[in-house]
Amino acid sequence: MIFSNSAVRSPHEIIQRRLMLLAALFLLSASIALTFAPAVRIHTSDVDLRWQHWIGFAVWLVGFGIVFRQADKRISDRDPYILPIISLMTGWGLLTLFRLEPSYGFRQTLWLAICFIGMLIGLRMHTLLPLLRRYKYIWLTLALVLALLTFFLGTSPSGSGPALWLRLGSIYLQPSEILKIVLIIYLAAYLADSVPARFKLMQLLTPTLLVAGAALMILVVQRDLGTASLFIALYTVIIFLASGKRRFLLISFLIIIAALIVGYFVFDVIQVRVEGWLNPWLDPNGRSYQIVQSIIAIANGGVFGRGIGLGSPGVVPVAQSDFIFPSIIEESGLLGAIGIVLLYAVLTLRGFIISLRASNQFQRFLAAGITTYLVSQALLIMGGTTRLLPLTGVTLPFFSYGGSSLVTAFFAALLLLIISHNATDETSQVVQSKAYFLAGTVFISSLLAVGLVCAWWGFIRADSLLARNDNPRRFISDQYVQRGKILDRNNTIITETQGESGSLQRVLLFPSLSSVVGYSNANYGQGGLEASLDSTLRGIQGNDPAKIFISRLLSAQYPVGADIRLSLDVRLQLIADDLLKEQTGSLVMLNAESGEVMVMSTSPTFDANKLEENWESWKSDSTSPLLNRATQGQYPAGNATAGLLLARLLAEQTLPSVAPEQEWSTDIQNLLYCAQNPGTDPTWAGLIVSGCNRSFNLLNYYLGTNMVSELYQETGLTTPSDRTITETITNDSEISVISRAEDIGTLFVSPLQMASAYAALSNGGYSVSPLLATAFSYGGDQWSLFPSDDAPAALPDMNTAQSASLLASTTLPGWSLASTGFTESARVNWFIAGTPTDWKGTPVVLVVTLENASSNLAVKIGTEMFNAAVNTID
Amino acid sequence: MSTLLPVVVLILRILMVLTLYAFLILMMVTIWRDLKFHSHLLGQKKIPQILLYEDGAPETAKYIFTQNEIIIGREETCDVFIADPVISARHARLVYRNAHWWIEDLLSTNGTYLNDERVESPVILINDDELRIGKNILLIEIQALN
Repeated sequence: MIFSNSAVRSPHEIIQRRLMLLAALFLLSASIALTFAPAVRIHTSDVDLRWQHWIGFAVWLVGFGIVFRQADKRISDRDPYILPIISLMTGWGLLTLFRLEPSYGFRQTLWLAICFIGMLIGLRMHTLLPLLRRYKYIWLTLALVLALLTFFLGTSPSGSGPALWLRLGSIYLQPSEILKIVLIIYLAAYLADSVPARFKLMQLLTPTLLVAGAALMILVVQRDLGTASLFIALYTVIIFLASGKRRFLLISFLIIIAALIVGYFVFDVIQVRVEGWLNPWLDPNGRSYQIVQSIIAIANGGVFGRGIGLGSPGVVPVAQSDFIFPSIIEESGLLGAIGIVLLYAVLTLRGFIISLRASNQFQRFLAAGITTYLVSQALLIMGGTTRLLPLTGVTLPFFSYGGSSLVTAFFAALLLLIISHNATDETSQVVQSKAYFLAGTVFISSLLAVGLVCAWWGFIRADSLLARNDNPRRFISDQYVQRGKILDRNNTIITETQGESGSLQRVLLFPSLSSVVGYSNANYGQGGLEASLDSTLRGIQGNDPAKIFISRLLSAQYPVGADIRLSLDVRLQLIADDLLKEQTGSLVMLNAESGEVMVMSTSPTFDANKLEENWESWKSDSTSPLLNRATQGQYPAGNATAGLLLARLLAEQTLPSVAPEQEWSTDIQNLLYCAQNPGTDPTWAGLIVSGCNRSFNLLNYYLGTNMVSELYQETGLTTPSDRTITETITNDSEISVISRAEDIGTLFVSPLQMASAYAALSNGGYSVSPLLATAFSYGGDQWSLFPSDDAPAALPDMNTAQSASLLASTTLPGWSLASTGFTESARVNWFIAGTPTDWKGTPVVLVVTLENASSNLAVKIGTEMFNAAVNTID
Repeated sequence: MSTLLPVVVLILRILMVLTLYAFLILMMVTIWRDLKFHSHLLGQKKIPQILLYEDGAPETAKYIFTQNEIIIGREETCDVFIADPVISARHARLVYRNAHWWIEDLLSTNGTYLNDERVESPVILINDDELRIGKNILLIEIQALN
């Protein structure tokens, strides 16, 4: 076996060998799973499998095999846990990088190989520790100079962001990483030289403070705040462990708080980070985009994880370095998170034990410093990506992508191993064991807190996080899994998903229905029915829970969605769309008995298939094509409600028999305005059919204000419609087309509301609620009805039958009326018609609204539509 | 193949969890055993009793210890608690190590003196040593092991 050695084995060697074997087995399972992941995703084996990461795995296996053997030879008495822990962490990180982007994986493999070579050289150098101690000022100067060089020659591999790197050919070097470890060496050496003699805190601290301050300045000026905060933490803990003085912790804590407050006002970065930490939900697409996406990734992981290669960690920004923790959690779940946390916890424990058993003060402080560096850096970034702490950009040691970071971490681990080899049980030095205990307790409980926070996001808050609109995973899943079709009442397909798994696309076959059906688009979210019926179309609602669970478990995807049948009739819809073309307005037709929406047309409209090209222009278009005027349009009702008032007055028998007026006007400002010519010697009915203002005002007067508003309430004109139908396309165009002057007494209603109120005239006096989606089906002909909550209720005190017969039309088989509603800036023409009460076929009610067009046109369109409808449907 | 594959991958994922936790549990179990073993060793070690007399005080003011570490200081939690402002909170400690009792100054402000010499680094104690901490003098008596 690769990790076995000589025949003689101490218990430590046996433990170590078993741990290495388990780590190798873990990575082997992960590698095989990752190889097949693309096939699982796409539901077919006919796909390119992943092979690249096997190179990484091979380098890992050979490299650690050699290091392990050499370590057995050179430092046989080392701590048995350090090497297995870092091997597992490195391997896991490496596979994650290959999974994210193979090119990161290859580069990291190269760096890992360099680390192995460095380790082998380091193991041969017997004088490594004394060398570090003796020339501490040289190392420090070199590191500071390198860090200073970034002021002048600094670049960034990504091209933007802080210039923290030095470029040597194609290699990028991050001097702050080197500075980190050198600062630890310097502090350890300095304190070891000074502590045994006398311990005067200020005297001791002055030179170290200067050095740490200088290092800090470089970082603050360079805006590398993650490393800067790490420096403060490192410095504090090392001095505390050396001195055992708690007041030092307090002072340092106060300094950090003060620095944070000052930094909040001076540095934009800190402000962004602190605000994103305190309240990420305020600006989830801007300032706190990273943290929100990170939390969603953790939520997606759940308990067991989505499986390596099966999640979507790529959507979290900088997933390869700063955000590698949530990337791993998404695919390995809460179990993985707890695993990582425990790995760091054991590393902390062993690090401190090594420090306590170290053979001299220098090695003791060095071991303590290294442990503090590794664990506090891990805590900073794990806490930052889980919203336990404000976000600071540091790498997760051993996991994250980055050569400098990996080399530094390996160098630190090498020092720790050498120190552990030199350890003794019997030390004669001053040891602040209480300080160690306190620091260890704080570190380990903070790590456990990270685990708890992961449980909070991944388990308790997971569902609400995953349902967020800025969770792109739903749309990614849509590219692999069939979303349900949307059909019309005759099973004509309106919307379906086309293409091959992996590149599925949603296609709306009737683009004129865009405003009603809406869209489901990765870049623009969801709107319309696609949004309100999403959970059914996605196969969650109404589906077998076991099916959902298995689908999520096996392939990290949602099951195939349900088809949905609408009450729309595509044939009639096309006629309506054609009639409304070139106009601005809407046309709604309901089944007067059931409330089923048969036609819902709005104009101008957009094309849900062409969002990418036109979204911005549609959004800024003054005619608001994204608005569904039938449901969202809030139009002044004018005297369009006259037919309802008439029905009430007829029931109360308080309608005077004499018609009110003999003359009329076409001037909208005139009190005698009529939308249509009432003819000579008109009756009450004739005046109402023509939409005459004065007769409407009289109806209002006879009924009284209270009665009228009561009537509006009963007929649903003042209550908003069901959300399933009125789901907006975009929140931005929620503004009504007609400017809504606060005209007291003017009723604003949507065409849909008007249609469902007037349905009473065609169904014998029942209120209906509009219904668009009628049934859903998970495959086959097994249709289930959507549960409907309200049954039609009889409206009291309405003589709808008589009202309908009074309003009987001469041009269509039923009743009708026209009307004009207006505000100061615009006007809208209504045309409302319905089948008579004794109609033998399907009773329908129709509402046409036209903005700023003639009343005649509204009447013409409505009449044509109505006649077409009664001829088409039985 | 395409229906079997997700199950195979699922088994591999379960294997990942199992190996990861086997790794962690193996570490914890062995660390725990190690700690138990060490504390057992420590418990088996015999420590010679050490007696501290306050100079000039009656015979009753003496301390007898059998533990391997004794802290002297002004703090009430110290094993030898002396309420004297000149003494640091944790002033010095006596520790049994390598078959000897050692005195070690805990970086106190005013220092610890053994037979009138300042204790800079740990020093081995013998019978009848005189320890001065502030103005207090403690006489040491170490019992021989049976």
